[in-house]
Amino acid sequence: MGTENPNRANFSQRPSTTPFSASQNASPFSSSSQVAGAVASSFRPYNPLPSSQIPPSFSSGPLAGPEASGFRSVHQVRLSDPAGPPPAPSYGPSQTRPSQRLPSPQFSSPAQVPPLWTSTGERPVVAPSVRPSAGPFSSTPVSFQMQPQPPTIPLGSPPKSMNTVQRGMNVPQSSMDSPFAAVSTNLQPSSPPMRAPFPAARGTLQSAFPGYPSQQYNAVPQTPPVNSVAFPPQQGGSVAPPPAVSRPYIGQQGSYVQSPSISAPLGMYSQDRMQHPASLPHLGTAQGLVEDFSSLSLGSVPGSLDGGIDSKALPRPLDGDVEPKSFAEMYPGNCSSRYLRLSTCAMPNSQSLASRWHLPLGAVVCPLAEAPESEEVPIVNFLTTGIIRCRRCRTYVNPYVTFTDHGRKWRCNLCSLLNDVPGEYYAHLDASGRRIDLDQRPELTKGSVEFIAPAEYMVRPPMPPLYFFLIDVSVCAVRSGMLEVVAQTIKSSLDTLPGFPRTQIGFITYDSTVHFYNIKSSLTQPQMMVVSDLDDIFVPLPDDLLVNLSESRTVVDAFLDSLPSMFQENMNVESAFGPALKAAFMVMSQLGGKLLIFQNTLPSLGAGRLRLRGDDARVYGTEKEHTLRVPEDPFYKQMAADFSKFQIAVNIYAFSDKYTDIATLGTLAKYTGGQVYYYPNFVASVHKDKLRHELGRDLTRETAWEAVMRIRCGRGVRFTSYHGNFMLRSTDLMALPAVDCDKAYAMQLCLEETLLTTDRVYFQVALLYTSSSGERRIRVHNAAAPVVADLGELYRQADIGAIVSLLSRLAIEKSLSYKLDEARTSVQFRIVKALREYRNLHAVQHRLGGRMIYPESLKLLALYGLALCKSTPLRGGYPDVQLDERCAAGYTVMALPVKKLLKLLYPNLIRLDEYLLKASFADESENVWKRLPLSAESLDSSGIYIYDDGFRFVLWFGRMLSPDIARSVLGEDYATDYSKVCLMERDNEISRRLMRIIKKYRESDPSYYQLCHLVWQGEQPREGFYLLANLVEDQVGGTNSYADWMLQLYRQVQQNA
Amino acid sequence: MDLEPLLWIIFFLMNMGLIALNLYQIVSLSDLEADYLNPYESSSRINHVVIPEYLLHGAFSILFLLSGHWFFFLATLPAAYINLRKFMKREHLIDVTEVFRVLSVEKKLRIVKLGFYLLLFVLVMTRIYAAGTFSVVMSVFHSDNEELDIRSSILEF
Repeated sequence: MGTENPNRANFSQRPSTTPFSASQNASPFSSSSQVAGAVASSFRPYNPLPSSQIPPSFSSGPLAGPEASGFRSVHQVRLSDPAGPPPAPSYGPSQTRPSQRLPSPQFSSPAQVPPLWTSTGERPVVAPSVRPSAGPFSSTPVSFQMQPQPPTIPLGSPPKSMNTVQRGMNVPQSSMDSPFAAVSTNLQPSSPPMRAPFPAARGTLQSAFPGYPSQQYNAVPQTPPVNSVAFPPQQGGSVAPPPAVSRPYIGQQGSYVQSPSISAPLGMYSQDRMQHPASLPHLGTAQGLVEDFSSLSLGSVPGSLDGGIDSKALPRPLDGDVEPKSFAEMYPGNCSSRYLRLSTCAMPNSQSLASRWHLPLGAVVCPLAEAPESEEVPIVNFLTTGIIRCRRCRTYVNPYVTFTDHGRKWRCNLCSLLNDVPGEYYAHLDASGRRIDLDQRPELTKGSVEFIAPAEYMVRPPMPPLYFFLIDVSVCAVRSGMLEVVAQTIKSSLDTLPGFPRTQIGFITYDSTVHFYNIKSSLTQPQMMVVSDLDDIFVPLPDDLLVNLSESRTVVDAFLDSLPSMFQENMNVESAFGPALKAAFMVMSQLGGKLLIFQNTLPSLGAGRLRLRGDDARVYGTEKEHTLRVPEDPFYKQMAADFSKFQIAVNIYAFSDKYTDIATLGTLAKYTGGQVYYYPNFVASVHKDKLRHELGRDLTRETAWEAVMRIRCGRGVRFTSYHGNFMLRSTDLMALPAVDCDKAYAMQLCLEETLLTTDRVYFQVALLYTSSSGERRIRVHNAAAPVVADLGELYRQADIGAIVSLLSRLAIEKSLSYKLDEARTSVQFRIVKALREYRNLHAVQHRLGGRMIYPESLKLLALYGLALCKSTPLRGGYPDVQLDERCAAGYTVMALPVKKLLKLLYPNLIRLDEYLLKASFADESENVWKRLPLSAESLDSSGIYIYDDGFRFVLWFGRMLSPDIARSVLGEDYATDYSKVCLMERDNEISRRLMRIIKKYRESDPSYYQLCHLVWQGEQPREGFYLLANLVEDQVGGTNSYADWMLQLYRQVQQNA
Repeated sequence: MDLEPLLWIIFFLMNMGLIALNLYQIVSLSDLEADYLNPYESSSRINHVVIPEYLLHGAFSILFLLSGHWFFFLATLPAAYINLRKFMKREHLIDVTEVFRVLSVEKKLRIVKLGFYLLLFVLVMTRIYAAGTFSVVMSVFHSDNEELDIRSSILEF
């Protein structure tokens, strides 16, 4: 058996004696609870319906399982189960839940006998998942009783009741014939005594964290099945297909043993431990240990790794990023994971434990993430009382504070100081100690809330939204068409700029001189003033350069209309960027705001001129390599600091086809909370839409102005370093002149005390900003995380998204002072250390020979690590990525929210031709589109594929694609050079459908505009450049393939293990 | 002969100056750490005195060399080299944008430097004492001898 199923979370199979396995979630948070079996990805919101029904008669002989390797997606069995919420001593047929009938019995694949599983100690995986069938069951009460399936359920329940079969599971051959194939449990010899320690451990955890959704073990002992076959009921976690990855406590272990012929449940409901009927036949060797991790077999025989890895079994994020659901559900007062993601939703309780967590420990905050309609952040206005904050640590009042002394005092959850409740805020406490006005106080119930800040939170009146444009009008800008597109886009966005009617606007253009424009409302035509003294730049008419948009609208319109034609004949190739920047600073420094720079060439005149450092191949691999990636001239850093000081955010749009030293220019964006947009070889006819969309979004998205952000945390924990695009104003205060929903910030924390005595650590993110409407507001996000003493728990609660985000930011920062190679090695090293630590944790109890083990929550760590090493900022060396592109990508990744980063690292690859040809497209919903592994093997030469990394689309046309499709999509010139073909909607159904799909994808990710590149199979070098180099699982130009990477990691983990 | 005490007085003042400049930088960094100063002010304060400090230290070393105090010259040489290297690499100024990242390192560096200057201060003091007392003793002897001479001559009269 080459692989074990990678889809199992927590991978513990519990051999139980009877064919029925089920688990029940005993916690009140039932929505996050587990299903006993594998949950298919499409069923993400599943209800915890326990107990799966499993067919009885399995012979305990050699097991043959259908090797469902042909199934790409996770296939799991869903069984519906009758489980009555209350303990019912007897079952009536009425309690039987109709099992969901799903029409796809997937057992048609040939069964094969797993060769070695018994001998290698690997157990076949079985993941019967319970299908949440009936409504009433979704809210399983806290009673821990599972009821065995009523006898009335026919044994011959049709295989329809399962919808999927987990791949790689072994189903006894005999079951194939029987209608119970669905059960597909693997028969597993079990040794009950071995399991005993486990439940006990769980039990302690549970008690340690009240409110934690922990599992209970429910065992319903039953008469052992006649054939005495043990089914390994899996732990809930083992179920998890990729989407369920980060659920905590995924692995709940509950196993229900039940024989179909049981006539009455025995009524033994043990909560915290499994009970094994004494009559359990002891079939196997020491396979009874519950495995609390996922693993990947690296070869059929331990020691001989050459057997290779079944590449299909490698874990992949084919369902996209899965947010840690538990995080919000564990503590209802936590904010959504949109806003704050901790790298592990549990805090180590001691420094020594923290040092064994080799991954970054920290958080990724996206304070203004876009929320869906119904979940907007409530706004609270403390009119008279003032904002309630802790006297000592200045924490804002939040759901975790406790009111005492009849409601007259409240205790701060961060520093435990007892504060007085202001008279106006006073409310009685009810019997349970909760305020009676709780339902009217969103700040005491919601994880995220926004306070209206009174005057003491302002150092000056709230600034109006201000947009200032610094536009290069040299010959390149005009020729490429950039100027025209920019002018048009700005003009079309004027109506939707936020903050009407207070919005202010201004323009400067520059080539070898700096041009100012007087756009005062009293004028009819803008006046242009040219300053050519670059050494001593000054601002003529300082008051009229920046005007109120609504007052000067006509002048601004006239200016933008005439801008492209004004410089039509300009042949100037110089760029006085530095002086223009200074001029813009002088104009804006009164108010602050957003400065948008459109730069086409290398700054060549005046202060801040840059030399052509060039992208020298010889520098790579030497000690000086990193200097290419750091800013050259301190002028820019100084300017950036000044900009940040005066609340100016800088966004850079760079267009050059030649070297523009993005590394230096980008610092302006980096320290001012801005963003770098890079359009290499900008040609208006090609990139027009992209620039238009991205500039439009930049101008019109909701922006928070003159913001500062601070993240507070409870005692014993301290944030030490911050990573992202901002400037620190004091040790923990981030200055963010402008923030919007596309920016995320990462931070790392450390433990200050050797031992944490509290049982929870609280975090509070506070963003003080001026909204576009001119209101000063404080957005507060709260989170709590349990303190744990167990390393395994720490790993179990890991959030792969936040970890990858932190890792990539650290690696990019490292690439600024070390070689690229060292940055990549450091990523690998950290992954290896983490996996080794985890392996050591389990090596004692389990036989791990030939297997690579990892926590279910981190099963994608290796893949993302590989993808990170192959990502644009860190990839290869000189020939692989142009320096400017690398730097621009680096700046982008430093600000990217988690979801977008994961998509960039492991983009979607989807086959489209089937959808294009399908007669009906009723099922165009997102779920139907199957993401494919990013390897060339996924590409079939008779198909069309779309590759979507969030920044661009690549449409790949197979060589054998039927000409009809190509013609209908591309028109008559389908056979010509694809670089010149532009994709447009044509008058046929296929083309319309394709455009609809593309449009839909674009709408689903509006932060950037994904330009569509068409690539024909075998068309080099474009195919290699656009697609093949980005297939992260393949071996491209000296990099590892995914399987090789796993092997390499495995070997390194083994060393010194 | 007469120059020696004067020289040591100059060394003493220079050393005091170096200590003061270092102390000032350390205080600025501590203030920044404690949030009494914002990074702009703190780094501009420090950057103002960095070049004077380097120049002073350079002069200090060269003066030792010229005056032939080999031991002191060698003692100040490593620090001078470090300063020079930092200056050549243009790393001598505090980068306001990254000040919090380098804060602890810079502070430690300056504390080490301060320690070194204090050590030097002790050495200089002993030399001043030695030089001072020696010449004073000598001069006392000298005058005493002369007076004695005078007296004796008087007595001779």
